[in-house]
Amino acid sequence: MFDNFPGNLPMSDSPLVVVKDLHFSRGDMPIFRGVDMQIPRGKITAVMGPSGTGKTTLLKLIGGQLVPDAGQVLIDGHDVHALSRKALFVLRRRMGMLFQSGALFSDLDVYENVAFPLRVHTDLPDAMIRDVALMKLEAVGLRGARAMMPAELSGGMARRVALARAIALDPELVLYDEPFVGQDPISMGVLVQLIKRLNEALGLTAIVVSHDIKETLSIADYVYVIADGEVMAHGTPASLDVDDDPRVSQFVHGEPDGPVPFHYPAVDFVTDILATGAQR
Amino acid sequence: MMVLLQRFGRRGCEGLETLGRAGIFLIQASFGVPSPEGWRLWLRQMHFVGVLSLAIVMVSGLFIGMVLALQGYTILVDFGAEQALGQMVALSLLRELSPVVAALLFAGRAGSALTAEIGLMKATEQLTSMEMIGVDPLRRVVAPRLWAGFVALPLLTVGFSVVGIGGGYLVGVEWLGVFDGSFWGNMQASVDFWSDIGNGMVKSLVFALVVTWIAVFQGYDLIPTSEGISRATTRTVVYSSLVVLGLDFVLTAVMFGGLS
Amino acid sequence: MKRSKTMELGVGIFMLAGILGLVFLGVRVSGLTFSAPGETFRLEANFANVGSLKPRARVTMAGVTVGRVTDIDLDTEWYDARVVLELDGELEGQLSRDTTAAILTAGLLGEQYIGLSVGGDPETLSDGDAIRDTQSAVVLEELIQQFVSNMATN
Repeated sequence: MFDNFPGNLPMSDSPLVVVKDLHFSRGDMPIFRGVDMQIPRGKITAVMGPSGTGKTTLLKLIGGQLVPDAGQVLIDGHDVHALSRKALFVLRRRMGMLFQSGALFSDLDVYENVAFPLRVHTDLPDAMIRDVALMKLEAVGLRGARAMMPAELSGGMARRVALARAIALDPELVLYDEPFVGQDPISMGVLVQLIKRLNEALGLTAIVVSHDIKETLSIADYVYVIADGEVMAHGTPASLDVDDDPRVSQFVHGEPDGPVPFHYPAVDFVTDILATGAQR
Repeated sequence: MMVLLQRFGRRGCEGLETLGRAGIFLIQASFGVPSPEGWRLWLRQMHFVGVLSLAIVMVSGLFIGMVLALQGYTILVDFGAEQALGQMVALSLLRELSPVVAALLFAGRAGSALTAEIGLMKATEQLTSMEMIGVDPLRRVVAPRLWAGFVALPLLTVGFSVVGIGGGYLVGVEWLGVFDGSFWGNMQASVDFWSDIGNGMVKSLVFALVVTWIAVFQGYDLIPTSEGISRATTRTVVYSSLVVLGLDFVLTAVMFGGLS
Repeated sequence: MKRSKTMELGVGIFMLAGILGLVFLGVRVSGLTFSAPGETFRLEANFANVGSLKPRARVTMAGVTVGRVTDIDLDTEWYDARVVLELDGELEGQLSRDTTAAILTAGLLGEQYIGLSVGGDPETLSDGDAIRDTQSAVVLEELIQQFVSNMATN
């Protein structure tokens, strides 16, 4: 259980997750056209990009829920998509994932939600499970809400409970899917703090998928920017801030128009307006 | 013409694909290993699909039994054969009405709820997150519901028959004055435990399997949006009803129709 | 936890009610008796014509049901119908060798059944024996035909 504390961390420099030449398409639409990534151990890596670039899909590929058309995802040397269903489920015990919607089990209360992974994966006695679950709830500041049902929680609280559940088994790798989306500034700040603290205290490797630039850049150690199915740029937050590529700078600085056009492709405005006989 | 043919072909292939998925799904889900935990989950689902469907099934059974007795009496009395009322009510309930009507009510009450519940769990990513925690949702979510359905519907069917015969007795004997002894006597003489009650139960088991399967699969396979859920719920009720009525004909033909 | 206790109780009552319902259907509706099937023995009888006699039909004696038909098939040696009867065990060794079996009809159009009547032979039938003296089913069409041809010759 204490394997993940920084002291006993296997001191290897090899990246925990390696994504090699990943190709994936949904129907006829290609989502990824050869993505390469290396996620270092014990660091927070952010994956950023405009909406609709398949960031969530990338997490699902890493989690083994989707199978790529070509390419590999290696987690600690294991090819996720070559594993048997059983081995994949074993590997997933070493991962936690925070979903956009929280995805708490609606028929269990907060305490049972956090205890769920412990109950299914360990033979710990009830008293121990209770201790661990309360510890995790304490870490996200919601020990007092243990008897509430998910439907009674606010969006920010639900996400924090989900975070407590994601780290219940002390995973090595936590995947955050848009953790900041739709949060008020206070709970956003709480979440930023939590992710940072968990990473520092437990030495977790984190992948944060987000398009909230300011918050993400404030905690990330390394950033990948993806667009058009490829890695457009990668580097430390500081290096990206001064990147010359106009596409990168448009995204990082949040400019409305630039290489990524404001307008959805259409015929010329004047021709469209003056066209006669058109219904709409 | 070619386009039409092509479209039919594609539809057919898609249909077969869905059927195949549903079959694999059924096999994977129903062989979930029972554990103390699974037992508790099953119990909860029994409560949900069984106990909570009891009221509607019982009330419908009572009324159907009463109507049968009333209708049967007016016809039988013309032939002076009103003593055969018990036999008529019991046979029509046990062989046909109980399995079919209970299955239809079950599809409407429990089936649609199962679809919506699983669909909502899918839409809110609960199933995916369960997978990421390393728990197979087929075992954890689907299997208890399937088994609860398999067990609950036959029990509901028995209840339907009992209450229906009670309703028939109420109208026939208490109200219309058919002789008590001949009501039960004729019934006992004509109803055979294995060929009537037994076959009725076999029907009910088949319906339970099909209705629960459709409901749970529709929930698991739907498009996770609010529109997808509402469509899948409708599909559950429509498909279940059609399949129950169709299968009822086939089963009746095999059991009672002298096809041997 | 309290809620789950009442839920468990509810499910328990539900399942118990279902099983009791099945017992009710068995006993009260189909008249199933739980006395063990009891000893039975088998007799055979050949009929020239069984009419619409069906397996599972009753076998009676003085109007009392004493057994049922288990099997009907064609005896290819004599080209008549061989009917296998299953009778209550207590009758074994009681029926005389010249017992007759007749196919009777309940009412004018009712179902057909077999009626046995005892003779006076001191020797008795035992398991697997055949009843020699049989009387075939009355086929309505044949009766009418006979009646008509008699009329014609007169």
